[in-house]
Amino acid sequence: MRLRTDDDIYRARLVYLGPPGYTLPVHLPYAQYGLFILLVPLYMFIHWLVTLQVELFPAWEIALAIVTTSFVFRYVDPDRPARMVIHTALTDWRRTREPAAEQRDPRLVGSRIRIREELA
Amino acid sequence: MSSHYAPGPPAGQPDAPPSDATQSLDYTLERGEARPDPARATSPGHGGVGVFQAPRPLQQRTPPEPTPAAGTDIDSPFLDLFGATRPARSTPGRAAAREQQPTIPQQLVAADPLVAADPPAAPTTPVAPTTPAAPTAPAAPAAPAAPAAPVALTEVERPPAGPARRSTRVPHQVGERLARPATERTAPPPADAAPQRHPSERPEPDTGDAPPSDRRSTSRRGRATKPARVRPPKIKFRDRDPSVELAITEIAGHLTFTPNTVTAWYWLPEVRWAFRPDAEREALLAAISEQYAGLAGFRLHLRRTTRPFPADEWARTIDTHTRAPLPDVPGTPSWADHLVAAQRHLLSVNHAEGQTYLGVTFARRSLGDSLVERVRRTFGRGVADGERRKLGRTVEQFDEVLGAFGMRGRRVTTPELEWLLYRSVALCMAPPGRLSPVTDGHWERGDLLALTEQVERYRTPYGSTVKLVNRMTGEEGHVAVLAVGRMEPLEIPERHEPWLHFHERLPWPMELSSRVDILGSGDSFRNLEHRLRMIRSQQLDYAEHGIDAPPELERLAERALVIGDEMTTGLPVESARAHGWHRLAVGGRTREECLERARRLIQLYSRELRVSLQHPKNQDWLAREFIPGEPIANTGYVRRMPVNLFAAALPQAASTVGDRRGDLIGRTAGTCRRPVFLDLHFPMEVRERSGLGVFVAEPGGGKSTLLGALGYLAARRGVQVTLLDPSGPLARLCAMPELAPYARVLNLTGSEPGTLAPYSLIPTPLRSEFSAGDAGEREFEIAVSNARAERRMLVQDICMMLVPPQVAREASTATLFRHAVRQVPAEETATLDDVVATLGKLDDDAGRELANLLLDTAEMPLAMLFFGRPPEGLLGPDATLTVITMAGLRLPDLKIEREYWSAEEALALPMLHTAHRLAVRRCYGGSMSSRKLVGLDEAHFMEGWRSGRSFLVRLARDSRKWNLAALVASQNPKDILGLDVQNLVSTVFVGRIAEDEEIASEALRLLRVPVNDGYEATLASLSAADSASAARLGYREFVMRDVDGRVQKVRVDVSYVDGLLDHLDTTPAAIAAAAGVLPVVADLEA
Repeated sequence: MRLRTDDDIYRARLVYLGPPGYTLPVHLPYAQYGLFILLVPLYMFIHWLVTLQVELFPAWEIALAIVTTSFVFRYVDPDRPARMVIHTALTDWRRTREPAAEQRDPRLVGSRIRIREELA
Repeated sequence: MSSHYAPGPPAGQPDAPPSDATQSLDYTLERGEARPDPARATSPGHGGVGVFQAPRPLQQRTPPEPTPAAGTDIDSPFLDLFGATRPARSTPGRAAAREQQPTIPQQLVAADPLVAADPPAAPTTPVAPTTPAAPTAPAAPAAPAAPAAPVALTEVERPPAGPARRSTRVPHQVGERLARPATERTAPPPADAAPQRHPSERPEPDTGDAPPSDRRSTSRRGRATKPARVRPPKIKFRDRDPSVELAITEIAGHLTFTPNTVTAWYWLPEVRWAFRPDAEREALLAAISEQYAGLAGFRLHLRRTTRPFPADEWARTIDTHTRAPLPDVPGTPSWADHLVAAQRHLLSVNHAEGQTYLGVTFARRSLGDSLVERVRRTFGRGVADGERRKLGRTVEQFDEVLGAFGMRGRRVTTPELEWLLYRSVALCMAPPGRLSPVTDGHWERGDLLALTEQVERYRTPYGSTVKLVNRMTGEEGHVAVLAVGRMEPLEIPERHEPWLHFHERLPWPMELSSRVDILGSGDSFRNLEHRLRMIRSQQLDYAEHGIDAPPELERLAERALVIGDEMTTGLPVESARAHGWHRLAVGGRTREECLERARRLIQLYSRELRVSLQHPKNQDWLAREFIPGEPIANTGYVRRMPVNLFAAALPQAASTVGDRRGDLIGRTAGTCRRPVFLDLHFPMEVRERSGLGVFVAEPGGGKSTLLGALGYLAARRGVQVTLLDPSGPLARLCAMPELAPYARVLNLTGSEPGTLAPYSLIPTPLRSEFSAGDAGEREFEIAVSNARAERRMLVQDICMMLVPPQVAREASTATLFRHAVRQVPAEETATLDDVVATLGKLDDDAGRELANLLLDTAEMPLAMLFFGRPPEGLLGPDATLTVITMAGLRLPDLKIEREYWSAEEALALPMLHTAHRLAVRRCYGGSMSSRKLVGLDEAHFMEGWRSGRSFLVRLARDSRKWNLAALVASQNPKDILGLDVQNLVSTVFVGRIAEDEEIASEALRLLRVPVNDGYEATLASLSAADSASAARLGYREFVMRDVDGRVQKVRVDVSYVDGLLDHLDTTPAAIAAAAGVLPVVADLEA
C-alpha cells in the first residue's frame, strides 16, 4: 500500500508578483509582505515611544522592517511557519537575558488534580 | 557505509521485508546496551532484582556496614517506600523444601520502613543525631541511582539503614535546603516526612527482619534513656520555586478534564506485526484507519510511553513455578544466584515494554459547566455529577468505535492515567517504584501525581535539550524532542515498517506523542479546495504578468484535483485526513548522550524510512506537549496525511514471543527487542497442547547448543532431562560443577549387550494411567494392544535395518519377518534372540538364511546392543540430567544409497532409532505429572521408516499426558513435515537456512509463515556473520514460533549462565582448548 502525505500541496510557494500590469522585480511570498506591514507600525510605535513624534515617511522604520522580515524569513520553510519562528525567537530571546547558562523553568505539578475512580 | 536514499531495498537483500531482515544499520546497535539505562533500570528499587534463596544454613548476620552501594547513596524520605518489597509469596509446596531459609534477602534490602522510621528506638544505629560531615560532601550524591542499584541488591546483608545512608545528600533536595538545623537537633526528619507525605502508604507488616522481641527491648531501652518524648520538628516542605499547575484539573474514570476540554483515554493493546502475511497486515491497517475516520471532527492525542521490564516479577513467577529446583552444590552458583544473574542480564540489556494510549478530545465544555466546576473546585468538589453523567453517555460511542477489530482499545483506568501523567512530566526519566499490579505496586490514588512535584525542569536559551532533575532521587536526565518533518511516500506493509514503531530498533526507550486533528470528508475537502484555489490563482497571476508559471504549480494542482476527486467520490476512510504534529522524545543521562542518541535516531529514520526528523528549538514547550491536556507547542511541522498513513504509524506494534514464566533464553531481534522466555512445559500445563518442539537449522546453526542450553536450564529447575546427542559434545554439560552430582552420561557404544533391545523400549501402559470403570478398562486394553503392535513394528523395522539392503528389498523378507515377529509374544520381556530362533525354526530356507544374516550382524560388538535383555536399572529416574551419546559412531549420509554404507554406518541407523526410543523410555518411569524433558538430536534419521513416524506421533500424543516436553532437532524440516506431525508441534525454532531455497520454504511452512513472501531471505540472513570481522559470531539467531502461534526472530543469549557456553561450544578449537580443563566424555560415564 503506497501511502503519502498531502504535504506537497501545502508546500506550493505562493508569491506576490505585483499589481496588475506591473510586475515587481522581486517576487516575495505573501507572508513576507504581511509581516512587513505589521512590523512598520510596530517600529513606528517604538519610535514614537522614544521621540514622541510621528514622521511622515518612516524611512528608518521601513528599512528596519525589511531587515527584520528578511531575517525572520531566512528561517521560514513550509514546515516552519513564520509564526513559529517568531515565537521561538521571542521566548528564547526573552530568556537569554539571564546571566546563567541554564535556568529553571516552572515545575509542572499535577498534585492538585482530582481523581475519581469511576466516571459517574 | 553506503547511504541508500533511493527507494528500494538495500543491495544484497533484495526482497527481504525490512522488518525481519538483519539490522542493516552500520553502526553497532549494541552500544547502548552495555549500561543499564536510567529510564529503564532501577531507580530506587524499581525493577530490582528479586533474590531467592535455596535452602541454606542460617548465616550469622553481620552488623550493617556502610557499603558504597549506589542505590543507597541518596537520602530520601521516600527511598524506603520504593525499595520496600513485599515478602515473596511462598508456595506451600515449597515451604517445606525451604523451611530453614532465613529470610529472603530482598526483604533485608528493603530495610523495612519500620526500622528506618524508628530512629529514636534504634540503638543499632551508632551515630544518631549529629550528622557527620558527609552531608556536604558532593562526591556521592548526584550520581543517578539507577545503574548500580541492581548490584546493591545482591548484597544479602542489610544495607546501611541508619545515618550512614542519611549522610550523603543530594544537593537538589528540599531537605538539604530546609532541614539542616533540624537534623542537627534530633531525630532525622525524613522518617517523619515519609508517612506524612504518603499517608496512604500501607504500613509494611513486620517481615521478620528484626526479631520482634529484640525490637521491643530496644525500644524499651530507648524509652528508658529518654523519658521526655522529644517531638521531631515538623519540616515544612514548602518551597518557593515557581510551579505551574497542569492544565488537567480532574481525572474521572477514563476521562480527563481541563477547563475547556474533556478527553477520553483508551489503552491500545500491542499488536503483532512481524511475520504476518501482508494481507493480514493490510486488513489491520484498514480497520484502524476506519476507526480513525470514525473519529472525524475530534482531536486525538496518541501517546506511547514505556515501562521497564519487571525482571523481579518474572523471577518471582519462575520461582513460583519451580517446585523443586536442583539442590545447590557448594561452591557453585545456587538457584538464587542463577536467577539473580538472569535478572541482571535482563536489566543490562534494557528491555522496555511499550504502552500506547489514545486520547480523544471530544467535547468543548459549555460555559456553564466550566463555571460550575470552578465554583465547586473551591469547595473541593470538582466536576458536577450531571456533567459527568452526560459525558458518560457520550463516551460510549467511542468505546464502540475503538473497541472493534483494529485497535481494540479499552478504557484506561485511573492508575494508568496517573502513570501516563507522571511519565509525561518526568519525560524519559526513571519511573518511580514498582508499579506492576501483580507485585504490590501499591501506589495509592494521587501518589504518582504528587511525585510530579519533584521534577524540576531546566532549559538553556535556544538549547537543544531540556534538563530534568528529579530532586528526590537526584537523577538528572536530558531530553531532546524531535518533530517528524518531511515524509516521502511509504509502502507500509510491503517494504517499510510502521513509521512510529520503527524507533524501537534502537536499544533505548523513547516516548512518542502525536497530536492530530481528524478531518472528516467535508472539512478535508474544504481545506483542500481552498488550497487548490490558491494555487490556481497563483497560476493566473503568472499568466496575467506574462511569466511562465513554475511547473510544480501545475503538478500540485493536478494532485490536488486527484485527491479532491478521491474525497468526493470515495469512501469516508479515503477522504478523512489527519492533520497534526508527531514528536519523539529521546532521553539521555547527559546532554551529549542525549544528542548522540537523537542524531542516531535522525540518521536511522532518514536512511531507512526517508522520514526527516527535525530538531527544533523551543524544546521546553515541545516537551510539555507530551503531557496530556497541555497545549500544543507551536504550529511548526504540521503533517497532513490521509488517515491510513496515520494508521500505518502503528506505535502499538510489538513483537513478543514466548511465555512469561519460563527461562530467559534471549531476546527478540526483529523490529524491537523484548526478552524471550520459554517454559517448555507451558504448552502442556497451561495451553493443553502437545509438548513437541522442533528445531531446524543447517549444520552450525546452533541447534545442539540451543538444545543443550534448554536442557541445562530445565535441569536447573529440577526437570528430569534426557538428552540424546549422537555426536557427543553435550556430554560435557554433565561436567558443569552445579550439575555434576546430578548428571550422568550413558555412552551407548560402550554399553552392555541388550541396552537397546527393541522389545523393552516400548513401555506397557499401566492400568493406573487410565480412569476407573469400563471405559477406562477398554482404553487400557486398546493402549496395551497398541503398544504390542508398535513393538512388532519396531522389531520388524530394526530387523530390516540389520539385514543388507539387497535382502531387505525382497518381498519375501518382509513377509518372513512379519511371520516370525507375529509368533513371538510382543511383550517387554521378549528379545530379538527369540525372533532369530523363530526364524531358524521355520521350515523355509529363506527364513533360516535371514536368521543367519541377523546372527552375522550380531558378531559386531555394537550390534550386540540389540540382542539379549536390557541390564537392570539402566536408566533409572534418579539422575536429573542424563546425556545419551554414541561416541565414535559414524553416522551415514542419508543422501547416499544404503548399499554403499559401510557396515558400521549401516548399524548406526537402527542404533539411532532405538536410542531415540531409549531416551524417551526413561520418561515413562516416574510419575505422570512430574516434568520431563527429552531432547533428541539428529532426528532426521527417523524419516522413511514407519516406526519413526509412529514414534514422533506417540511422543506428541504422550507429551501432554506425561507432561513431557520433547525437543526434536533436525537438519531438514521436510523430515518433520513428511512425518505429518506438524499439527502436533507446539514450538518451532528455525535457524539459519541459506543453502537451499526449498528447505527454507519447508521451514517457513513449519513456522506457518507465508511462503514466497520474501521471508526465505530472512532465514538466510539469520546469524549472518560479519565478513569484515575475524571473530566468531557470539550469538545464534532463530525464528521462533511459540505455542500461541506468534512468530518472531529471536537471538538466543544464555551468556548469563556462567560457563555454560564454554561447555556447549562444539567447535573443534574449543573442544581442543577445553580438553585440558574439561573432562573428556569417558571420564563422565557413570
